[in-house]
Amino acid sequence: MSDLVNSFYQNFIEKDRYQYLLDGLKNTLIVTFFAVLIGIAIGFILAIIRSTYDNTKKLKILNFFANVYLTVIRGTPVVLQLLITYFVIFASVNISKLLVAIIAFGINSGAYVAEIIRSGINSIDRGQFEAGRSLGFSYAQTMIYFILPQALKNVLPALGNEFVVLLKETSVAGYIALQDLTKGADIIRSQTYSAFMPLVMAAAIYLVMVIAFDYLIKRLERRLRSSDH
Amino acid sequence: MTTDNSSNSPLIKVRGLCKAFTGIEALKNISVDIFQGDVAFIVGPSGSGKSTFLRCLNRLEEPTGGSIFFDGEDICDKTCNIDLHRQKMGMVFQQFNLFPHLTVMRNLTIGPMKLQNKTKEEAEAKADALLKRVGLSDRRDAYPNQLSGGQKQRIAICRSLCMNPEVMLFDEPTSALDPEMVGEVLNVMRELANEKMTMVVVTHEMGFAREVANRVFFMADGEILEENAPVAFFDHPQNERLRSFLRSVL
Ligand SMILES: Nc1ncnc2c1ncn2[C@@H]1O[C@H](COP(=O)(O)OP(=O)(O)O)[C@@H](O)[C@H]1O
Ligand SMILES: [Mg+2]
Repeated sequence: MSDLVNSFYQNFIEKDRYQYLLDGLKNTLIVTFFAVLIGIAIGFILAIIRSTYDNTKKLKILNFFANVYLTVIRGTPVVLQLLITYFVIFASVNISKLLVAIIAFGINSGAYVAEIIRSGINSIDRGQFEAGRSLGFSYAQTMIYFILPQALKNVLPALGNEFVVLLKETSVAGYIALQDLTKGADIIRSQTYSAFMPLVMAAAIYLVMVIAFDYLIKRLERRLRSSDH
Repeated sequence: MTTDNSSNSPLIKVRGLCKAFTGIEALKNISVDIFQGDVAFIVGPSGSGKSTFLRCLNRLEEPTGGSIFFDGEDICDKTCNIDLHRQKMGMVFQQFNLFPHLTVMRNLTIGPMKLQNKTKEEAEAKADALLKRVGLSDRRDAYPNQLSGGQKQRIAICRSLCMNPEVMLFDEPTSALDPEMVGEVLNVMRELANEKMTMVVVTHEMGFAREVANRVFFMADGEILEENAPVAFFDHPQNERLRSFLRSVL
């Protein structure tokens, strides 16, 4: 027992090492939060392009590029996407690692969000679309007022899950020497030569965040369902 | 009930309308005039192209040939604003297609408010008046999934009427209903017909067609094989296919 207390003291209190975890957590949250925003924006746009093409055969060229993007992003590891973004695309630019991580993870997430939202749009009965159009709503208005609200409600669990995945995936940010939560724990390990305490603590922090997030999503889902009997 | 409209120009003028799906000609060269105040019923066997015809009238299906004039304007022309014309052509679907995420009131007001710049008060006043007429004032704050099929269809009719359409298109409005709910929907349609609303109705309710229509059309294999006033249509059918169709359904 006193071993544990000692180890805790040595890993977190001594020399204020807990700061590595706090700073790391801050970076993890920043990267996840902004990557999520970018992911939603990209995902929305791509999903609309793809659905519009499927329904109307318009936007053919945009749809082609959307497909290339989806194939490449979903077909390659996120670590490599991060490394390529940092060491190739922004190689000659002086840019913060935080920003690089946000861009790389945002672009990655956008591909998955796009597929989720598209499946949501496809899940809506065609009659909804026809009802909107027959009243005189344009294609875009029908999407905005009738299709997307229902589609998003249907895919809320899948979107929540995607963000949980993203939160954990940002743990590879250490590959470009960005000090996120995982990297922070690893720095402590390299200083104290004890692996258990810092790594398990970092894992526990991820776990608590994921559980809290799941809880919020479930509540939101219940709220939305109660308006749709 | 017959009317002589030949002096007026038609509200909807269909000329040589064709619609081909891959592998099937659903509509073959259809020409029809629908006049203001017409209550035109279309009957015929399943798969004969009735829905396709109705859906071409507001271009939910894109015709592959011919032209459709509505209020004198060719709505198949690529330059015409079909969304504006659709506001004047209400459509009622077999499956109701109410918006499940919106309350009854919002289902009725979203069109007039977003498309016709009506204020909330104006739109709700009109919606309340229509709800009262169809006997559903107490359901104005309900969501569609809380309604029975008959109630949903009456709301769907109101939703179209809220736009002040010039014509109402009905595609088998009672076919998805339990038998005991058919009457309440037919009553609403009967009232509309009495008020001289122009209507084009696809239905299997032959008794109702005979009672309410001023013109009845028989469609088979993508063609209109016979048109007549209801009494002549049902009592003295000329076309052999119509005779056997009527024998099979009556
Ligand atoms: N979207 C479609 N794609 C292919 N074929 C279709 C489509 N819609 C209708 N059809 C075909 O067109 C014909 C007419 O269909 P429809 O207008 O629905 O008939 P009705 O309403 O008289 O039962 C049918 O043979 C049907 O299979
Ligand atoms: Mg049909």
